[in-house]
Amino acid sequence: MSSLHSVLGELTPLPGVRGALVVSRADGLVVADALREDVDGRAVAALAASLADRMAGVTRALGQPEPVAWQLVGSEGLLLAAPTREDLLVVVVADPAVNAGELRLRVLRAAERAA
Amino acid sequence: MRSLEPWVEAPLTAFLAESGARLTLLMTSAGQVVAQHGFVRSLDVMSAAALGAGIMAATSELARVMETAPLESVTHQGKALGLYLAAFGTPRGRWIGLVVYGSETSLGLVQLFFARLVDDLSRTAPAELPPRQVLAEDFEHELNSSLRSLFGR
Amino acid sequence: MTGDDIQALTAQLARDPASLVFLPLAEALRRRGQLDAALAVAQGGVHRYPEMAGAYDLLARIQSDRGEGDLAFDAWTTVLRLDPDHLGAHKGLAFLAFRAGDHARSLRYLRRVVELKPQDASLRAALARVEAALGVRQVPGFGKAAADPLRALEAEPGLALLVDLQGRTLAGGVTDRAGRAASEQVGAALAGISREAERTARLLRLGAWRSLSLEGGPAHFELRTPTIDSVLLVSRPREVPAGRLALLAERASAAARRWLEELR
Repeated sequence: MSSLHSVLGELTPLPGVRGALVVSRADGLVVADALREDVDGRAVAALAASLADRMAGVTRALGQPEPVAWQLVGSEGLLLAAPTREDLLVVVVADPAVNAGELRLRVLRAAERAA
Repeated sequence: MRSLEPWVEAPLTAFLAESGARLTLLMTSAGQVVAQHGFVRSLDVMSAAALGAGIMAATSELARVMETAPLESVTHQGKALGLYLAAFGTPRGRWIGLVVYGSETSLGLVQLFFARLVDDLSRTAPAELPPRQVLAEDFEHELNSSLRSLFGR
Repeated sequence: MTGDDIQALTAQLARDPASLVFLPLAEALRRRGQLDAALAVAQGGVHRYPEMAGAYDLLARIQSDRGEGDLAFDAWTTVLRLDPDHLGAHKGLAFLAFRAGDHARSLRYLRRVVELKPQDASLRAALARVEAALGVRQVPGFGKAAADPLRALEAEPGLALLVDLQGRTLAGGVTDRAGRAASEQVGAALAGISREAERTARLLRLGAWRSLSLEGGPAHFELRTPTIDSVLLVSRPREVPAGRLALLAERASAAARRWLEELR
C-alpha cells in the first residue's frame, strides 16, 4: 500500500478540489485526509461511507457487483468516491467546475494505489 | 423517546432520525437519567445509566493517572452492535450520552450527529435552575417519578 | 365515391360557393389521397363557416394526413372550443398525442371518447389495446391507472425504474442479471437513497443534488429525483457511453416529472 497521504497528494493539486480523504467503509471514519479548512472531514467520511453502502445495496439488488466509482453531483459541488480492495473509500469533494473526467481517472488510480 | 426535560426532545428526535441509533440514553455525570430512547424496561435504563456513568468516571480517572486530558468519548465495537459513550458540557452541567447502534448505521454517523446534538442542546438549554437538594426520604419517590415519566407510565 | 361524383360535387360548389357540399367533397378528395385539393376545399369551407365545428374537424383530418400535426392540433382544438363533446376531435387529438409520444394526454382524450360513446364496443376495445400497449396500471399513492412514462423512452425494457420514497414502483421495471424481475428489491434499496443524497449534499454544502452516477462492472447506472418524492434509476450496459446514459436519464426524468405532475 502506498502512503495514503501520497495517494491523496495526487488528488488535491487538481484545480477545484476542496479536499480528498481515505475513509474507512465499515465505520465511516477518516483514515487520512488532505482538506481545505472549510471542509468537515468527519462529515465527509461519515456521509460518503453511508451513501456508498446505500449504492452497494442498489447494485446488489440488481445482482451486480459493487460500483467501482460513484459521483454525487449537486448544484454547488460534487462528491466523487471509489472503493478500494481494503474496505476503504477514496473520496474527493470538489467544485462544480472541476475537470470531472480527469478527477475520475485520478480517483480510480488512487483507489488502486490505496489498496 | 421519553425525556424529563421538554427542551431535550427536539434535538434528541433529530439525532435519532439522522444517526439511526437503536438505543440512546442521556444522563447527568452522576448517572441521573434525562432522556431515553429504545429501552423497554426501567431496570435496563437504571443499569445502563449507572454503568455508563461508571465507565466515564473510570476513563477520567485513567486519564488522570496517565496525566493526560480527560477522554471525551469511549467506543466499543462489537460484531452486531457498537456502543458510543461520550461526555459533554451543557448549560445544565456535564452530561453523558450513551448510544447503541447497529450495522444499519456507522460510528462515523453516530459521532457526526452526536456532535450536532451537543451543539443543539447547548443552544436550546434554558438558563440553569438553582440546584435543589434532594432529601434522602424524597429520593425513591423522585426516582420512581422519573422512571414513570421516562416510560410513559 | 367515384371520379364522376367528385366532379359533380365540384361543379355544385362552383355554382353555389355557400353550399355545404364542400364537406363531402373535401372528405372524398382526402380519401382519394388528393390532399392538396382537399385542403383547398376545406380551407374555403372554414373561411365561409368559421363557427362550424365539422368544417374544422375536416380540415384537421386533412392536415393530419399531410403530416401537419401542429396545424391539425390547432384545428381540433378549435373544434372543441365550438363543440366540447365533439367525438372526432377527441379521437383526432388522441391520435396526435399518441403519435407525438405524449401517451398520458392521448389516453385522456381516448377515455373521453369512450365516455361520449360508451356503447361503442370498438372504441372500448381500442382504448383497452392502447392502455395495454402503454403499460397502463394502477399507480401506488394516486389511486388511479396511468400509462407508463418510461416505456416510450425505453429501447429495451427492464432498464429503468421510478419509485416513490417508500420504494413502491410507480413506473418502469428492472430485472437482475439473470433476467428475473427485481423492481421490488431495487425499489427497497432506492427508497432511502434520495434522502441520503439530499442529506449528504446539504451537510457537505454541495447544493441541491442533481444526479448520482454509479460506474459498475457490467453496467452503469444513473439516479435522478424527478420530484422531491420520487427516485428514478436508469441503467445501461457499460458499452453505452456515459454521456448518452446521462442524457437518457435526463429525458426519462423530465418525462417522469411531467407524468407525476399530470397525475396530481
